[in-house]
Amino acid sequence: MAAFVLFSEALALGLASGPACIAACGPVLVPSLLTEQAGFKPHARFLSVFLGARLAGYLLFAAAAWEVGTLVSLPQASRVLLMGGVDVLLAGVLLWYAWSARHLCGSSCASSKLVQIGAAKDRRMAGAAALGLLTGLSLCPPFVAAGVRAAEQGSMTQALLFFVFFFLGTSVWFIPFIGIGCVARNQAVMTVARMTMALIALYYLSLGIAMLMGRKAYGF
Amino acid sequence: MASKACTLRLAPAATRGRLRSLLLTLPIAVWSLLMFFHPGTHTDPKSRIAATLTALFMTALFFMMMRTGKTYRWRRWFFVSLGLLFPIGFIYNLVLVRGTMGIPVEEMIAGRTPFCFLPIPLLILPAALTRTLVFPGSIAASSHGIASMVGLWLALTLVLGKGWCAYACFFGGIEEGMAAIPKRARIRKIDPRWRLLPWAVLLAMVLLSLALFEPAYCMWLCPFKAVTEYITARNTIGLIQNGIFILLFLALVIVLPLATKKRTQCSFFCPFGAFQSIFNKISVFEVKIDRTRCKSCGVCQNACPNLSLSKESIAQGETLLSCMKCGACVDACPQQAAVWHIKGTELAWKPERARLMFLYAAWAVAVMFGGSIIAQGLVTILHFIV
Repeated sequence: MAAFVLFSEALALGLASGPACIAACGPVLVPSLLTEQAGFKPHARFLSVFLGARLAGYLLFAAAAWEVGTLVSLPQASRVLLMGGVDVLLAGVLLWYAWSARHLCGSSCASSKLVQIGAAKDRRMAGAAALGLLTGLSLCPPFVAAGVRAAEQGSMTQALLFFVFFFLGTSVWFIPFIGIGCVARNQAVMTVARMTMALIALYYLSLGIAMLMGRKAYGF
Repeated sequence: MASKACTLRLAPAATRGRLRSLLLTLPIAVWSLLMFFHPGTHTDPKSRIAATLTALFMTALFFMMMRTGKTYRWRRWFFVSLGLLFPIGFIYNLVLVRGTMGIPVEEMIAGRTPFCFLPIPLLILPAALTRTLVFPGSIAASSHGIASMVGLWLALTLVLGKGWCAYACFFGGIEEGMAAIPKRARIRKIDPRWRLLPWAVLLAMVLLSLALFEPAYCMWLCPFKAVTEYITARNTIGLIQNGIFILLFLALVIVLPLATKKRTQCSFFCPFGAFQSIFNKISVFEVKIDRTRCKSCGVCQNACPNLSLSKESIAQGETLLSCMKCGACVDACPQQAAVWHIKGTELAWKPERARLMFLYAAWAVAVMFGGSIIAQGLVTILHFIV
């Protein structure tokens, strides 16, 4: 019964945090999906890999949270450094992604490949996975709240399960992203998507660098 | 063809007699009087002088449009004046009220900054998902205020489409002035893919505004922060933000317009311009290319300050979606193949009538928004010299 209540709480927390999650992942996810071929299937595949990697990020966080008590107790400076590092990595992956997507064109090219990082065929989903993992490590307030509850559990398994249910709750909100498959693709859409990725990467890069330089955002 | 690009060739246009031009100007003269001299305004002589000068200026420019049959060159006088006088009046008021041009970021988030239309597209997703306005202006506090401003903008947009960017925007004038300075463009070949950048800026800023729950464009990318209010820098992030504003202003508003003779900020960056382009689809006024007259000389393409014409679009007899109806191509076309047009009518149906109808609407907006800003700028100058 206690487990049922606990996991219901995780699911409810995930469901309630969903809008914050799609807001946080939207800047990364929307332009990445726009570089895909039109259609639901490629988008569903991309989203599955993205969410799977995001779950891996969650579990990593849950394990760390349980192991160290809670990441919230980390000193402010360390947390800022951690976030700065994640932001810089995210920027790097986005820039790499935008650059590598130049080889692809819209549905008119009838390319069967999904957007890939690098030219190797076996690495074509690496981009989605890297982006999912890095966004999964984001320390947004609901995520930290879930981290606190996970850290309070009696075992690491319970902590991990708590995050699995939290993940399931948030993932429901990602399903509408498959609808981006309806947007018609042409060279202009692909170019706009790549440019958007580069701009968002620059945002994360500047934020990450500022954090790594040890400054607190807005003096708070 | 490309070498002719940089100087605006003016084709012979249908000129009108003085009396007829005066009669056609009369509605705008009355509108100017109504705008600048309604009861209860201008209690001090400086305001009266500024209002009189502005009313005369706006009316005279419209008269010249009617008299010469040209649009672009007269509109440019207005637009450049607006661009130059806006920061003067704005900064003066800001310093008067706040004592500084710097606004702390928390005040910006709380919506205690002056109104600006640029973040309007950024409101949509946060408002739709959370019913919260992330608007960096004082009207955000009142739902009536935001509703009336958005309603007014929507009404004007339905008529003008992207004409907003040539007759109402108070930011584009500086770069249009810069673009007018050199006789020839140093950079003539511009990759057409850059035209897509404003859409990317729009998408990135809409998504980041939702993620950060703040108007991301105002916080990170607005070049005009350099000549309006800037963010009070209290840490590294503040310094980076202000550095970005200044660099973007220098690059997009000063250096690139001088090098290309184009409105580069509007053409390659402004997210509001991209958003406004969508409304060209429903606006009743447009500029078309009459293929029966067109010799494909490319003069119109080179004259366009916004890169809104391409070989392909000319071949189809149309401008691109980004056309801001400034009239440069119509004025420049030696064959008079570029024409004003009202949707739903025959292409050959009285282009001058279409121009007139558009200009009445556009100039009324110009007097209402731009005129008041010009008058404010003049008052500030008079304050310092008298």
